[in-house]
Amino acid sequence: MRSSYDPSRREFLKKAGTTAAAVAAAPYVITSTALGDDATAPASDRIVMAGIGIGNMGGGDQNAFLNNGEVQYVAVCDVKEGNRNAAKHKVDNKYGNSDCLATGDFREILAREDIDAVHIGTPDHWHAILVIEACRHGKDVYCQKPESRTLAEGPKMVAAARRYARVVSGGSQRVRQDYNGVVHPAWKGELGELKSINVNVGPLPRECNLPEETVPPGFDWDMWLGPAPWQPFHPWRCSGSFSINGQSWRSYIDYSGGGMTDWGAHHFGGATFIIDVREYQPVEVAFHNDNGQKWLTYTYENGKQITHNRPGHGNMQVESDKSVTVEPKQEPDYKGNGIYGDFIHCVKTREKPFRDIEFAINTVAVSHLGIVAYALERSLKWNPAKAEFIGDEQANRFLDRAKREPWQI
Amino acid sequence: MPEQAVEALKTYDWGSEQKLVQPIEEAIVAAQGDLEKTKELETQLAAILGSDAPYGAKQYVCRRLCAIGTAASVPALAALLSDEKLSHMARYALEAMPAAEAGQALRDALPNVADSLKVGVITSLGVRGEDAAAQALAAYLNNTNGELAVAAARALGAIGSPAAKAALEDAKPTDATAIPVADAKLACAENLVAAGDKAAAMAVYKSLLTSPVQHVKLAATRGMLVCAQK
Repeated sequence: MRSSYDPSRREFLKKAGTTAAAVAAAPYVITSTALGDDATAPASDRIVMAGIGIGNMGGGDQNAFLNNGEVQYVAVCDVKEGNRNAAKHKVDNKYGNSDCLATGDFREILAREDIDAVHIGTPDHWHAILVIEACRHGKDVYCQKPESRTLAEGPKMVAAARRYARVVSGGSQRVRQDYNGVVHPAWKGELGELKSINVNVGPLPRECNLPEETVPPGFDWDMWLGPAPWQPFHPWRCSGSFSINGQSWRSYIDYSGGGMTDWGAHHFGGATFIIDVREYQPVEVAFHNDNGQKWLTYTYENGKQITHNRPGHGNMQVESDKSVTVEPKQEPDYKGNGIYGDFIHCVKTREKPFRDIEFAINTVAVSHLGIVAYALERSLKWNPAKAEFIGDEQANRFLDRAKREPWQI
Repeated sequence: MPEQAVEALKTYDWGSEQKLVQPIEEAIVAAQGDLEKTKELETQLAAILGSDAPYGAKQYVCRRLCAIGTAASVPALAALLSDEKLSHMARYALEAMPAAEAGQALRDALPNVADSLKVGVITSLGVRGEDAAAQALAAYLNNTNGELAVAAARALGAIGSPAAKAALEDAKPTDATAIPVADAKLACAENLVAAGDKAAAMAVYKSLLTSPVQHVKLAATRGMLVCAQK
């Protein structure tokens, strides 16, 4: 696989040469796998990939990339021994060898010069560090949503991607598939001039105060916590369950943004796509409290709006002026087969993927801005270029959270 | 602060009922804009840090001081920077605090805390982005403890100022620090371009052309092309 940092081809040839020399006495056999076939690229053209965080979503991502004929999958990382052994077993089974590296430390993977790209499926509090470090080590990245955990992390992730010209894709497959009933008519101009769209999503994240239980064997709890504040192990604190009811990490603010980011990454992603504001972030978040029913209005510089949990409004409910004629626009789409194929295509061509990291961060910023507005129970003004609240010292304290040593961006 | 919640906080720990201290958070939100009330809350919270309250209670307090802490809380927080268990949470509050005293406390702590905690203090100084920290951080760039040297490089990159750039020029990169130092220099160069000083940025980019790391060289080359544009 040729990339702007291209050791993989040279490494493959070096290894192939060494192998050949070692079995010089026997007939030299070139396997059909190495040569490739209709469904599989030749080994030297494959994108060499590894996975970091192979739990629920990471496992699904691994399946997709492992079964992509343009990928050579070489390493897995997970802080749970069971997860990484299972992930390694999958890879070894696929290739009929035991070559897949299994490690509990992502730094071992990023240090490997033969790896072109990584997919990241850890809990959210690790995403920024991993994406940025991967870029610094010359890797392209597919990162699960929500791509950032705080407002301050997002710009740093985009900066790292641009600095090293890395292909960095966020991971919401739903933006391009779940909302087509509104997406297609919107882009065709059939809805008229779009004014606002409502998103219903939640709950907000909460602090975690679960009691201490014994860390199960084979689980590196300290590494799982990583940059998050130290708290004792409890299975609900770190469960990868998709529920957001206090029995999973998705519920808790140290690791996630609750439903606001977990499902918000999808729904706000759909909303920003429908009203075509993916390149921007809101400049104002208005907080409303209608007799105890709290909701938000986000306003963009161009006047378009997203509402959150607006009373009497359904999810993806659009308000538009149908009397205005709107010309149809070319609807952006994946450049490959699905979000995974889109990433692989862009790794090869160096184009920006459908959910380019900048679009991803702009989407997740909507979630994060909302979390701050709800925490302070008031309206906010936001400067997207500076990534800060305007003249609001109190709100600016929410931009980031200090990372636990030794972890840093 | 509601009396019952204060009492509950004194024994608050992992597994304690969160609703017992919920009134504290509600009081903080309600006190927005009322400096007197907020100061009163801050004082009551900071007092817990010097008490024999459990770790869970002190962590809770640091989270609240992250939202409302001022220079008045800095001494109580600074005292925790050398505490293995609470250093991070002290930084949790200090890193976000606008008061200049917070940055000073972190700089003062730097020579005095254990190496394992120094990485965190260095990181927080980088995040605060204060130029005043650049010289203190520079002292760690060539430290034989690779973790400290890496942390210092990253922190200087986060500050990204001309002072940080000058400090990075004295770095003698090792295998461990090559990428962090180069990345920090690239960040400084980008800031110079944004500030309109393309000549200074060009010098930084040129210095990186000899990097043994291919993607660093390519980043530097792209930077030079940007500088060359009119």
